[in-house]
Amino acid sequence: MFISIDANKCTGHGRCYTVAPDLLSEDDEGFVAQSGQTLAIPEALLGQAQEATEGCPEGAISIRQSSAVDA
Amino acid sequence: MTETQRGCPVSHAEFGTDTEIYGHYSLLNAEREKARFQFNDTRPRGFWMVQRYDDIVEGFQKHDVWTTAVRSALRPDLGEPLLPQDLNGQEHAKLRRILNQFFAPAAVKRMAPMARQRARELVEEVRSRGECDVAAEFAIRFPTELFLELLGLPVEDGEFFLPWSEALFAAFLAGEPETAAVAKKKILDYFDAAVSERRASPRDPAEDMVSRLVEARIDDQPLSQEDILTICLTLMLAGLDTTRSALGYIFLHLAQNEADRKLLVDDPSLAPAAVEEFIRLYPLVMQVGREVQQDEEFNGLDLETGDVVWLGIGQANRDPRKFPDPDAFVPGRKGGGQHLAFGAGPHRCLGMHLARLELAVALEEWHRLIPDYRIKPGTELTERGGQLTLPTLPLQWEV
Repeated sequence: MFISIDANKCTGHGRCYTVAPDLLSEDDEGFVAQSGQTLAIPEALLGQAQEATEGCPEGAISIRQSSAVDA
Repeated sequence: MTETQRGCPVSHAEFGTDTEIYGHYSLLNAEREKARFQFNDTRPRGFWMVQRYDDIVEGFQKHDVWTTAVRSALRPDLGEPLLPQDLNGQEHAKLRRILNQFFAPAAVKRMAPMARQRARELVEEVRSRGECDVAAEFAIRFPTELFLELLGLPVEDGEFFLPWSEALFAAFLAGEPETAAVAKKKILDYFDAAVSERRASPRDPAEDMVSRLVEARIDDQPLSQEDILTICLTLMLAGLDTTRSALGYIFLHLAQNEADRKLLVDDPSLAPAAVEEFIRLYPLVMQVGREVQQDEEFNGLDLETGDVVWLGIGQANRDPRKFPDPDAFVPGRKGGGQHLAFGAGPHRCLGMHLARLELAVALEEWHRLIPDYRIKPGTELTERGGQLTLPTLPLQWEV
């Protein structure tokens, strides 16, 4: 499973790295450092990935089966 | 027969007047359930109420078409300039990029030890008296001091600064421009001296916000002194009353709900989760306004250029379509972090992480020293309309 963060939607609420500290981190401006990326989710961190997705007010985070970029 | 405007139901609900406590949340809930959208005719420029969670998120995100040319649906023609929120698009993004680093969680954490120490001192000041008006004597002093710290100014200045900021905010909300101007001049003169001092002897711009504003360039141009002062004033207007008001509702809730208070006293580590849920349940900024920049249909609502839109934050946060059992206090509730108390889209609250820190620290330190308290018997509490607050909240405890 992969977690994908849409850089066009992210406005830096910081909810995701707060609830998923082992998966995501913050940059100097308080935005998630992995904005715009698609990352493989380690099995043990699936719960954190789920919480990050459910905690984003912008709906910028999705969990998907493949790392392929949307067309 | 239902009255309509362009086919949309008309609401006469008034949100600008004082009510009994929690009166506005009841009204917001009731209006949201009447219709997906309503046209409110209580203002000369009526406004289109966007009342449900999904629509409100979408409204915040279409910032290029719904701009901050109007910031409040209740007072659409307020002239007071604010920065960065008056800017839109790339201009707004560029200024936010300069400010963001001072409000990021890492920057806010640097303020935590000082915040904790001041919170403890302020609570100790009132504890021996066995009572205080928590709104006036604690909840406003604490964020005012942290605001001065953020600007690199002495927290002791709070003593004379607080009456100025209170006078300005009251006049600002009441629409009294002459009274506001007097208070505003004192504040701007004070900021002007501070900014000029920093120009003369800059500090490390990575840690000192005023030094950063002085040295910053946008498209190779420095910020004008006037814009820097407007930014300082905006941070003050945005950060002090809101924090005071949030603390007011938190203390009111905890005074009235002993089980919730006991939970926090027994396990102070719950404070951040409790704060997040309090912010969802009791948003102070119950609405923001936007101005529509092009004719369009929005999910079935016909809008025209120049229309004022109401984004009902207080309605989104208790929308049962989004949050099950929305009027209940459930710290750590699933998906609770998606509340819109701080807005969404590029204009989302700059100070959100500082606010979270202030509220959590205040809760922890207060309850460490004063775990049991009650609302002073015989007190009649009211709720200010417009931007919600409890003007007074007298508490009592055993000494």
